[in-house]
This record gives sequence, structure tokens and C-alpha cells, in this order.
Amino acid sequence: MSLLSLIVFAPLAGALLILAIPNTRTKAIQGVAAASSAVCMIFSGYLYYAFDKSTAAMQFIEKVSWIPAFNISYHLGVDGLSVTIVALTALLTLVSIIYSFNITLRVKEFFFWFLLLEVGMLGVFVSLDLFLFYVFWELTLVPMYFLIGVWGGPQKEYAAIKFFVYTLFGSLVMLLGILALYFNSAPHTFDMLELARQSSLFPLNFQIWVFLALYLGFAIKIPAFPFHTWLPLAHVEAPTGVSVLLAGILLKMGIYGLLRVSFPVLPLAAKWFMPFFIVIAVINIIYGALVAMAQKDLKKMVAYSSINHMGYCMLGMAAMTTIGFNGAVLQMVTHGLITGSLFLLVGVIYDRAHTRDIDAFGGLGARFPIFAGLMTIQVMASLGLPGLAGFVSEFLCFLGAFEAWPYYVAASAIGILVTAAFFLRMIEKVFLGPFNEKWAGLPDMNLRELVAIVPLAVLTLVIGLWPRFCLDLIDPTITYLVGIVNR
Amino acid sequence: MTLSHYLALSGVLFTIGLFGVLTRRNIIGILMSIELLLNAANINFVAFNRFLYPGQHLGQLSVIFVITLAAAEVVVGLALVMAIYKNLKSAYVEDYNILKG
Amino acid sequence: MLEYVFILPLLSFAVAGVILAFGKWLPGRGASAGIAVAAWGFAQAAILFTKAIQGKLALPYEVSIPWFSVGSTQATLGVYVDGLTIAMLVVVTAVSLLVQIYSIGYMRGDPRFKRYYAYLSLFTASMLGLTISDNMLVFFMCWELVGVCSYLLIGFWFEKPSAAYAGKKAFITTKLGDLGFLVGLLSLFYCTGTFRISEILELAHIGFIPPAAAGAAAILLFLGAVGKSAQFPLLIWLPDAMEGPSPVSALIHAATMVAAGVYMVARLYAVYALSPVALDTVAWTGAITALTAASMALVCFDLKRVLAFSTVSQLGYMMLGLGAGGFTAGMFHLTTHAYFKALLFLAAGSVIHAVHTNDMREMGGLKNKMPVTYITFLLGALALVGIPPFAGFFSKDAVLAAALARNPYLYAVGAVAAAMTAFYMARALVMTFHGEPKDMKKYDHAHESPPVMTGPLILLAAASVVSGWALSRHEIFERLVNFEGVLPFELHHVSHGAVALYAGTVAVLSMGLGAWLYKSKPGIPAMLRGKFAPVAGLLDRRYGLDAFFLKFVALGDRLSSVLFIFDLNFLDAIAIDGWAWLTEKLSRIQRWFDDNVVDAAVDATGTVTLCAGRLARLAQTGIVQNYLLFIAVAVSVFAALAFAG
Repeated sequence: MSLLSLIVFAPLAGALLILAIPNTRTKAIQGVAAASSAVCMIFSGYLYYAFDKSTAAMQFIEKVSWIPAFNISYHLGVDGLSVTIVALTALLTLVSIIYSFNITLRVKEFFFWFLLLEVGMLGVFVSLDLFLFYVFWELTLVPMYFLIGVWGGPQKEYAAIKFFVYTLFGSLVMLLGILALYFNSAPHTFDMLELARQSSLFPLNFQIWVFLALYLGFAIKIPAFPFHTWLPLAHVEAPTGVSVLLAGILLKMGIYGLLRVSFPVLPLAAKWFMPFFIVIAVINIIYGALVAMAQKDLKKMVAYSSINHMGYCMLGMAAMTTIGFNGAVLQMVTHGLITGSLFLLVGVIYDRAHTRDIDAFGGLGARFPIFAGLMTIQVMASLGLPGLAGFVSEFLCFLGAFEAWPYYVAASAIGILVTAAFFLRMIEKVFLGPFNEKWAGLPDMNLRELVAIVPLAVLTLVIGLWPRFCLDLIDPTITYLVGIVNR
Repeated sequence: MTLSHYLALSGVLFTIGLFGVLTRRNIIGILMSIELLLNAANINFVAFNRFLYPGQHLGQLSVIFVITLAAAEVVVGLALVMAIYKNLKSAYVEDYNILKG
Repeated sequence: MLEYVFILPLLSFAVAGVILAFGKWLPGRGASAGIAVAAWGFAQAAILFTKAIQGKLALPYEVSIPWFSVGSTQATLGVYVDGLTIAMLVVVTAVSLLVQIYSIGYMRGDPRFKRYYAYLSLFTASMLGLTISDNMLVFFMCWELVGVCSYLLIGFWFEKPSAAYAGKKAFITTKLGDLGFLVGLLSLFYCTGTFRISEILELAHIGFIPPAAAGAAAILLFLGAVGKSAQFPLLIWLPDAMEGPSPVSALIHAATMVAAGVYMVARLYAVYALSPVALDTVAWTGAITALTAASMALVCFDLKRVLAFSTVSQLGYMMLGLGAGGFTAGMFHLTTHAYFKALLFLAAGSVIHAVHTNDMREMGGLKNKMPVTYITFLLGALALVGIPPFAGFFSKDAVLAAALARNPYLYAVGAVAAAMTAFYMARALVMTFHGEPKDMKKYDHAHESPPVMTGPLILLAAASVVSGWALSRHEIFERLVNFEGVLPFELHHVSHGAVALYAGTVAVLSMGLGAWLYKSKPGIPAMLRGKFAPVAGLLDRRYGLDAFFLKFVALGDRLSSVLFIFDLNFLDAIAIDGWAWLTEKLSRIQRWFDDNVVDAAVDATGTVTLCAGRLARLAQTGIVQNYLLFIAVAVSVFAALAFAG
């Protein structure tokens, strides 16, 4: 078995093993969950290390015929577009699992679904066959449904069903698009690379329809305005570890899908769509930031800020330039790290105070220096402070988009201001000012939480200071991809 | 005496028997009427044999067969009647309506 | 020598981390490490400066390493050193060093002493990085980082809600300007295809950048400077920033960070020089800022805020100088201003440290109690006012001369502001140090500050006295910091002597008037204040600028809540949940149809069969005779039919 299969199915092995452990042995279940995702992380780390930075071609390819009658194959591979996200997925899942050790309800099922979710997410990012891609895409849905619906907050059932039905709707339309591609390719194929090679054979009209179908599926996942309303609800209701994956990885599947499937396979339609796309991106940025400003709930604020940050990704993509695409891919990674850790930090305070109301706190900075410090770092990263990861990716997105859409970029800069405003206001209300004695008895962060969050904070700093850590892997593929798209 | 006389006798007998079967309330009466029907048939057998196939005895044979059969029938029939009577305490056929749909 | 310049910010950066992590075990709880590094940095800068004015350095010096690359675009980390850089380096390192020494006394006993030094070092690192960066991308990064350090230090005593608020206000107001900076940076990149300062300057010199594009980019970049250097109308954050510790005000909000905007304009002066519109924008913004801020200082009773308004006003002068074509004059004023304004803030800090209030109405007569502080403050004030031969006289004179050479109106505005400056400084000086003590309890409590605080004061006072004269001797500064390009407009010829004479006279007269009024006739200012209450109120309210921006914020808040309601009640509730509702209703209708039409049809066949069966059942009487009758009838009928057929 080769590396990619190991990465994808290591969590599955863990999940099956967990099924065999009796319910009561919580420690063993947690151990197996952490171990199997750690194994997956180690393999991904090795993948990251062994990845050849000099080529844009697919690497670590595995291809086995699966359903020959329909020309479907088990086809895996990574390039610069996916390798960073695979590593990010493994990392975020690992830290979320560690963080989720505090779950006490139905532990066995929780970790089973969690690991299954990891299989789905990793599978999406490494599969090169659209059919396989779709299978993994849908595989993320079911665990997520249960994770939100069973372990979520007060409105969990509503949130879970909404998330499920909404995204399922999108992916069904996407399936139509995929089938249209299959039946219009000659010979019929689901292979992404083969479809990209045939892209010049598809007429514009056909491309536009398929693009829109795929876009619906991806846009709901991103989420692009106006398909974003499932997100705040699902994020807020989901348990902390799940919110991390939801924001950190699941949103990226939309961007990834656009970059992996829509742009190379349907380049003409992509170009046709860009004037609309840039408008949506700017709306995402400004609208997301403004709505986040209205939030009184910490988690909702972070959730809406995700909409804003995904807007930067879309801004970078709308440029159709190397710089912009690089920025978009890097933004996926940095947003995963930053927002992931912000969700964890919000979870930390919620676990202690059992409230997320921004106005309920005050002056925590003096008593909880570690928590306040980490939160400040990640908030600063989120609002694009130089030296931290968010700046590089956002700046690249702006820089890339400026040539083609200068006025839109200038308008979207307002988003930065609003983001700064609401995050600083949050910091002021929660950490600064006189100490609210109500919270005097709360302890600062414990080891479990530190182990989960500190790696993310460190990576935020590393990427901010040394973006080549990611960009060197991303750039060759992106240069090649931009070549294809602009052919 | 011609065949027609016999046939007429037989017809009258059969009609009486049929009338009895259809109108008698008492099951025993119905059984007796059935005997009349059978005997009407017997007269027919004998008459046809005498007038149509004088040298043969097929008709007579049949008659004997029918008489034997009638005797057996009465045995079975009376046994059934007894059984029904034991269950329903009635010898009147209007009470025998368990076949009613 | 030059090869090691890049170490300066890195070392400061490293020491910030060291103090934060190991400050507990370092001598002086980390202060020593910060001061050692700052001292070393100052020594380096001083050596560089000396060598540069002796002409022993090959300037400009440039070196860079690749940072990251995307496609064909490369970002670099590098060092660009020319005369301008060295002048700025000296200012930054000198003030940083003195402020860190002073802070030992000022911050003694503060529970977050260690963190304070870490922030100071981080700030110094960012400021040095900004100064020596060879490209605008890293420049921008450091530009933002100094903003964050400013945020952290303004809100250092964050238990005070006003401090927390001021920090946030400073950050967001400057961020507003930074949006312009960001867009300007992007457009500059698309004019030139590079972030490297040397290449941008070169392209500007050879006229590769179209003047219109250069002007647009320059004005956008200038918006950043408007925020950072607290120019009109974004000057509102600086007075509130006085909530931070006084040494921080001296370092960040007087000498270095707020001057970064001026430095940026000077750094890209070749680009600005392509467009007269851009330069005029700079000049007039500076002039208006100088005047408005000086007028606000006239009525202010908070000692530090008077100094803050004064800083804003002086930054306006620097911009005025640069915009009027006086490149050297603007930077010269930046240099001298750094010393005397840092001095004034530190002296004010010393006073505040002694009496524990910022309000000048509660001070008075302190010159006897705090002689060193008084003398140094006096020297700083004289330098600021521009009394010959103190530092401010030389630099302000140069700025005013440049303004006159460009446009008499600019000069007039500057001259009026200069008169106001002299007046409000006399007022502050007299109210604080002269006259009778207003609050005896505070007066009795007051004492001279320890030597660790007065030492830096004396050093800065020395610099304030001599730096103007020393640097203008043999045109030392002009040879170091000058602009070799062509200005887009002709300058009038002006007589420096006349301007100097006028400026000096005005300064002396105005200061004298102020001192006389507040010392001998304190009733008159109070009477004037009463009589012109609306004017005073307007000045107190900073011309309503705060209210204007707050209205903006309120508008943003309203918009945000309206959008949220829209999001929740329209997009989510109607568009999405509405779909769900509609689908559910539709499915109910479908169910009704299913129940009442489709299923009913199925049931109907059953019902018909049943009824037919019921009818047929009537024939089944169960009475054998009936059956027989039917058979008989049937047989008869068939027989009849058979015979008939």
C-alpha cells in the first residue's frame, strides 16, 4: 500500500478499531483516536517532506481500476495545490482530537465519526477521479451530521439537518455537473487530469452550464454569498473540535474544488464567470466583516469572520494570476490555522465560563495571560498583522487581484478595517478594562488545551515569517495551473 | 302402452320429486323426494331399454346400479342428517344456512 | 560596518522574545537586556553617522536575500542605507535608548514591567526594520507592526477603560489610513513591477512612471502617513494615545513612530516629486494640520495632551516642509523635533510621576521642587518654540523658508501656527512650573525624579540645544540628507535671513506674551475663554473631528446590525428557511393529493369490489333448496334455449 492510501485509510483503521473497544474504556478509545490520527499526521509530515518542490506534476500517484465498466478508477495523487491542505487536515484533526478529550458523552461514537470525517476530508484532497472525489465529498457529510446533531449545542438538530440538506442539495447539483462532464468526454472518463486535457473540446455554452452546476456545490461549501447562512449556525452549534474542522477544512473543499476541477477543466467558463465572482468575493469580504461586527457571541463572530476570510481566497482566485492563486491557496492554509485556533480558544473560554457572550467578560487579560496572549496573537493574525500568517496570504490575494480589478480590491480593503474594528472591540471587551470578579475562580489554560493550540500558533508565526515553508510547494503547481487556465 | 306413457309417468314422478326437494322443509322429506327423482330416472332407463334396445340389458343393469347407489346414498345422507341434527337440533333445512355468504 | 546594519532590528526582535521568556531571571527584570541592545544599536548608528558625514561610506548601500517568490514575482528581505536612513537610525536608536533608561525609574514597581520592556524592544525592532528596509513590502509590514506595538503600549495599563479605548482608537484610526497605504502600495507595484525602493526611485528618476499614476499612488500612500503621523483629519487618535505611559509617548508618539509617515514620504520622495498635485496635497495637509493642532493646544489643560497637539502640529510642519519641496528641511525638523519633543514628554512624565496628575490646573510652582526637570523642560520648550539658537529655530526656519519659496499662503499658515506654538508652550511652562502651587497636597508630595530619569532629560536637553546648530554647521545635515531629483515646480527665491529674523521675533514676542498673560494676568485668559466660549468649545472638541468619526463608527455599527438582521431574517429565514418552508408546504399539498386522489382511487376499486360482493352475497342464502331452485331454473332455461335454438 502506498503513502497516500496509508494517509487516507489510517484513520479508518482507527475508527474500526474503536468500534471493537467497549464503551466504558474511554481512555483506550481516546488513545486509539489520537494514535491513528497521529499516524496519519506522521505520514502527512513525511509526504510534506518528501514532496518534490521542483515539479508541477502529480506525485505519489496511485491508480487502480475500480469500476472498469464506467471507466472509474481509484486514482490518487498530490501536487502543490493539495499537499499543504492534506498536511493541514491531518494536523487540525489531530489537535481537534486532542482537544476533544473533554467530550464525555458517547465517547466511542464521537471518535468513530471524527475519524471517519478525517477519511472523507483527506480523500477529497487526494482523489483525482471525479467519481471517487464525489464519494469522499459525500462521506464527509454523514459524520458531520451526527457530530453536530448529537454533540452540538442547544439548536443542534436544526443546525445538523440544515447543514446536511443544504450541502447535500449543492452536491447533488454538482453531481449533475460531474455526470455532464463524464458523458461529454470522449472516451467517457471521470479522470480529472484527462478531463483537463480535453478542456479545449468543450464548447463555451456547455462549459458555462457545467461550471454553474459545479459552482453551486462548491459555493455552498466555501461558503460564498448568498449561500453562507448554514455556516454560522453549524459552527456555533457544533462542538469545538468539530467547528475547527468545519472552518479549517470543510470550507476549503469548496475553494479546492474550484481550483482543482472548475478552473482547469472549464477555463472558458471560469473566465466568463470572473466578473461575477469578483463581486461575490467583495461582498463576502465586506458583508462578512460587517455582519461579524454585529455579533455578541464570540463563536458567531469568528464564524462570520470566516466568510470574510474566504472572500480573500475568492479575491485571489478572481485575479486568475499566479500571485492571486498562490495567495488563495496559502490563505486556505493560514485561515485553517488561524480560525482553527480561534475556535479552540473560544472553546477554552466557553468550557470554563459556559458563556460566549462578549459583554459578559472584561479584564481577563490580567488574570489569564497565556490565554489572552494566544488569543491576541491569533486575532492579530486573523486581522492580517504582518509577521503572522494571515498577512502574507491576504496581501498576495490583494496583490494578485489588483491588476485586474483595482477598484474592487480598493473597496474590499474596507473589510480589513472592519475586521480590525470588531476584533479589537472584542479584545477590549473581553480582555481589557477592569477585571470582572465573576470569573475570578477560573483557571488559565491546561496542558491539553495548550498541546492543541500552541502548535497552531507556532505555525502561524512560522508561515508569517517564512512563507516559503508553504509557498515553495505551492508555487510550481500554481504557475502551471495558471498556464492551463489562461491557455 | 308406448314409450311416451312411460316418459310421461317418469316426468310426472321427477317433477313431484323436484317439487318435493325444493319445497319440503323437513330434511327427511327431501331425502325421500330425492328417492322419487332417482326412481323417475330408473323408469326412464327401463323404458328406453325396453323400447330402443329390446335385446340388451344395459338399462336394467343401470337401474340396479342406481338402486344400490340410492341405498348407499340414503345411508350416507341419513348419517349426515343425524350429525347435523345433533349439532343444530333441527330437522328443518331453513336452519341449515351456515353457507350463507 | 554597513554589512551589519541588518543585525540591528533582528537583535532588538530577539531581545524582545528573550525578555518576555526569561525576563524574570535577567538583571533589572529584563530592562538591562533591552538597554544593552539599544545602547549597542545607538553606538552603531552613531558610528555610521560619523563615517557618513566624513564621506567614508559608499552610499547608498543595498543588500537583500530572497524571502519568497510567487511566479515571477520575488519578495526580498534586505537593507537599504542612504543618508536619510542613517539620519533616521540615529534618531530611533538614540531616543529608544534614552527612553529605556528613563523607564527604569518611571515604570519601577509596575507589575508588568517585564512585558513593558519586551514591547519597547519589539517596537524598536519594528521601527528599525522600517527604517532600513530595502523594499516597500517589508516597510509596510514594519509599518503595521509599529502600529501594533503602539496599540499594546497605549493600552499598557489596560485596566483603565480609557487606556483600552485609546489603544483601540489609535489602531483603528491609523488602520483607516493604512487602507490607503495598502492600495497605494499595490498601485505602485503595478506601476513599477517591484517593491524595492532603489528600483522604484530609479524608475521614478528616469520618468518611467507616468506622473498621473505616480501622483495617485503617492496620494494613496500619503493617506497612510496621514493616519500614522496623525495629520488632519486623522489626528484624533494622538491626543488620546497619551493614556499610555509617558516614556512611550516620548518614544512612539513624539519621536519615532509618528514620524514614520514623514519618513515614508521622504523615502519615496522621487515618486512624490513626479506629481505637483501629490506634493501640494502633502504640503497643504501639513499646513492645515500644523494650524489646527496648534489652535487645539491653546485651550487644553492636560499637560501631555498639549504636548500631543504640539507633536501633531510639528508633524504638520514636517509634511509642510516636504510638500513645499524642502526635502532637507522636513527631515531636519524631524530630527531636531525628535529630541526636543522626546525631552518635553519625558520631562512631563517626570512631573506627572511627581504629582500624579496630568491636569495643569493642579500644578504650578514646581520649578523649586524639580529644578532639573524645570530647566530641561524650559530648554525643550525654547527649542520647540524656535528661539535662537536652540534646535527648533534652525529646523523650523528651514521649513518656513521652504514654504515661502513655494507659496506665500503656505508660509502664512505656518507662521501663524508658529506664533501659536510659542504661546501655548509659554502657557504650559508657566502653568506647570511657575506661579503659586494650586494643589498644596500634590505640591508637597512632589519631588525631583531619580537620576535614572533626570539623566536622559539632561542628555536630551543637550541635544535640543545644540543639534540644530551643530547639524546645520557646514551643511552637515544637508549633505547627508538631500534630494537629487527635480522638483515639479519652480521655487521662489527667499532670503533665509529675513525669514529667520521674522520667525525668531514672532517666537520671542508670542512666548513673552503668553508668559506675561499667564504669569501676571491669569484673569485675562480666563476672561477670554469665557467670552469666546463657543470658540474654546470648538477647539476643545477638536473641531468636532471626533464626533465626525464617531458618527462614522455609529453608521458602521448601524449598517452592521442592519446587515445582520438582513442575514438572519431575510437571507437565512426567508431565502433558505423559506425554501424549506415552501418545500414542506408543497410536500403537504402533495401528501393531501396522494391521500385524497391517488390513494383514494386505489381504495375506490376496493370499495367497488366490496359493494359488488355485498350484492352478490344476497344470492347466497345458505339454504340448499334455493341453490337447487337456481340450478333447476337454469337447467330449464338452458334446456328451453337448447330446444328453441
